[in-house]
Amino acid sequence: MTSALERRLRQLRSRVLVRSWEYRQRRHARGVWFRLRRVLSDASEAHVVTAEEARELVREGHAPEPVGQDLQPPKLIVFAPAARVARLASARPLAVRLSADLLLAECLVLVPFETLTRSAPRGSASPP
Amino acid sequence: MAFRDRLVETIRAAGPILETEGVLVVGSEVPNLLEPGAAATLIVSQDLDVGVPVDRHAAVKQRLGDLRAFEPSAEEPSVWTHRSPGLLELNFVGMDPAQDPAEAYVLEDDRLPLLVFGALSLVVAGARIDVEGTRLSLPRPAGLLLEKLITDRTGEKGERDLLVALGLLATAGPGDLEELEQVYRRLRPELRHAARSNLTILSLLAPRDGMPDPRPWRAELAALMRRLETGDPGLP
Repeated sequence: MTSALERRLRQLRSRVLVRSWEYRQRRHARGVWFRLRRVLSDASEAHVVTAEEARELVREGHAPEPVGQDLQPPKLIVFAPAARVARLASARPLAVRLSADLLLAECLVLVPFETLTRSAPRGSASPP
Repeated sequence: MAFRDRLVETIRAAGPILETEGVLVVGSEVPNLLEPGAAATLIVSQDLDVGVPVDRHAAVKQRLGDLRAFEPSAEEPSVWTHRSPGLLELNFVGMDPAQDPAEAYVLEDDRLPLLVFGALSLVVAGARIDVEGTRLSLPRPAGLLLEKLITDRTGEKGERDLLVALGLLATAGPGDLEELEQVYRRLRPELRHAARSNLTILSLLAPRDGMPDPRPWRAELAALMRRLETGDPGLP
């Protein structure tokens, strides 16, 4: 009578096992996707820029997000205010989601939500 | 027949169960019912999730005989299929407030076995509403929202479930968010991580027809994540 429920229970427990496995990897390479999503979640806008302009932002004090270096090939990802991004000649806007365009971009400039105060760049370690 | 009409007819036909004390409507239909006039504009699966607290299982069983418009599915005994095409399926799920949110078990029963989902232990009874003559209970938004955020989901169904969570968030007031934060802080780290991970996925979802558009909500989602992260040790 309950074989169908038992099957669903096994499936559910399997997913829980996978989730636990992924959680344990949050500070390792596989956890990069959560860390990348977390950074993007703080951005109201995303722009592809040239490496030259991205490095210029870093020289101005906009710190690179460590998650960019956790990807292969690595990316330079920095947050900058909208007014500064508006002065970047190469800035090309992208939808803020994990699209192919965004993932292929070598250098990304993100605009933080105005309601958020950007803290220091997020390290590679993920929260619990 | 419009989906809302089918939902209302299903609620009417399932009234004997839905009006049983302790029984809650849970799942994707909740934001549909929370829309003004229970407008039910979200595109969701064609079933009604009926949450049965394990200590009310006997009372619900007693009323199964009154479900004349439905019959138990031969394949899935916790699903009752409709005898009329104008109705939705009933999907009975078990709730046990004492259960670990990450666990599940089967409540064995010849007539109404239940898969008891641990994540539903976060759900508590909230508003009692009247849907065209049938009184039913909905969960408090905070618990149901967290249940959606810690339940592991994949694929199209998973993304739609997250958009259902967004529909719940859209109806949540400051008190609901305060409650959500309190319940979140009682979760163990792995489940807190799962909730935040699903919030990031929700924040980056593309809009879908017939579902809440996450884009106007992204700032609120970011603020919610910050709020949940505050006080969590080891944050980068």
